[in-house]
Amino acid sequence: MFVLVVGGGKVGYYLTKELIESGHEVALMEKDRVRAGQIADEIGSVVISHDGCEGKYLHEAGANRADIVAAVTGDDEDNLVICQMAKHHFDVPRTIARVNNPKNESLFRHLGVDEIISPTRMILGSIEQDIPVHELLHLAALGVGELEIIEARLQPGSPAIGRSALDLSVPEGCSLFGVIRDGKPTPLSAGTILAEGDKVIAIGRPDCEPALRDQLIGEPEG
Amino acid sequence: MADSSAPQFRRAVIALSGGRTDRSIVALASEQARPDHAELIGVHVVEIDWTLPLDADVAGRSEDAQRVLDIAEATAEAHRYKLDTVLLQARDVGAAIVDEATERDADLIICGLPFRRRFGGDFAIGATIPYILKNAPCAVWVIREAMPEEQA
Repeated sequence: MFVLVVGGGKVGYYLTKELIESGHEVALMEKDRVRAGQIADEIGSVVISHDGCEGKYLHEAGANRADIVAAVTGDDEDNLVICQMAKHHFDVPRTIARVNNPKNESLFRHLGVDEIISPTRMILGSIEQDIPVHELLHLAALGVGELEIIEARLQPGSPAIGRSALDLSVPEGCSLFGVIRDGKPTPLSAGTILAEGDKVIAIGRPDCEPALRDQLIGEPEG
Repeated sequence: MADSSAPQFRRAVIALSGGRTDRSIVALASEQARPDHAELIGVHVVEIDWTLPLDADVAGRSEDAQRVLDIAEATAEAHRYKLDTVLLQARDVGAAIVDEATERDADLIICGLPFRRRFGGDFAIGATIPYILKNAPCAVWVIREAMPEEQA
């Protein structure tokens, strides 16, 4: 598989290194010549010292035959431009973008980026797992980025408490697939009565979130 | 002190660029290899840009690439010496030459360097020779051609 990585920061560097070690063909674009030279010294002649935001250089880097383009610069706007060009000018089957500002996620999705990786969102999710929250947690993006794994922790005031999980009216495009109770995963069945403290895991499209929130979070007490 | 009876080298990789220095470096290598019957390997690298996969059939179809090897072999023959030739495809010439020398356990790389100036007048050494000098595990001889008379 040929992967074109754009952005030679820490993420791009380690991603390229891991992909090479896994036996993939990889090219890394980094516009800073000094940084590009440092990386080339360490991992060999896979580094192209050009700006991946320019179509001409994306072409030179082999975007026309790339199976995946991963835009992992520290700049959301650049990552969006790179993925859009890869998708629309070079017909790259799969584009992956790093999104630093979680507020940009929906824009990236809307503009056709296949997969969105948000380190900020991941860290936020990890922090929120340990503190009481009244929101849905995004655990991961699935497939081409149109689906997410979502967690809801049932707290006092949740309309789902005391009801069977299978009786909840889950919105179309969303599916509940498990409950974590006392740290143990439990499959959903007709006999699964939801209780305070349960973590309900769902898979769904982002547009299902409001309805899912109504069903599982409701109006928290306090 | 260096042992004067030790061979200068036992296996040398000659980097053939297809340029005007190829004949002179093959001739020199042939003469230097003769006393110790050292092995000479002429390597020409066809650089493949990233728009093509590395295994695209480019070098095999290239008459120019074959001609580079033929001229080098003929030059060695004219000096009554045998030169094995290798045609490679790579993303980067310098890295390919160093890798080939390492794989073949060569103890010398010989490169030719044409005398060129950049726009503005500075001497242009290019990227390949510095890469080889920096990364080759073995000795490297760089033979720079003479400065043209009008520039001397």
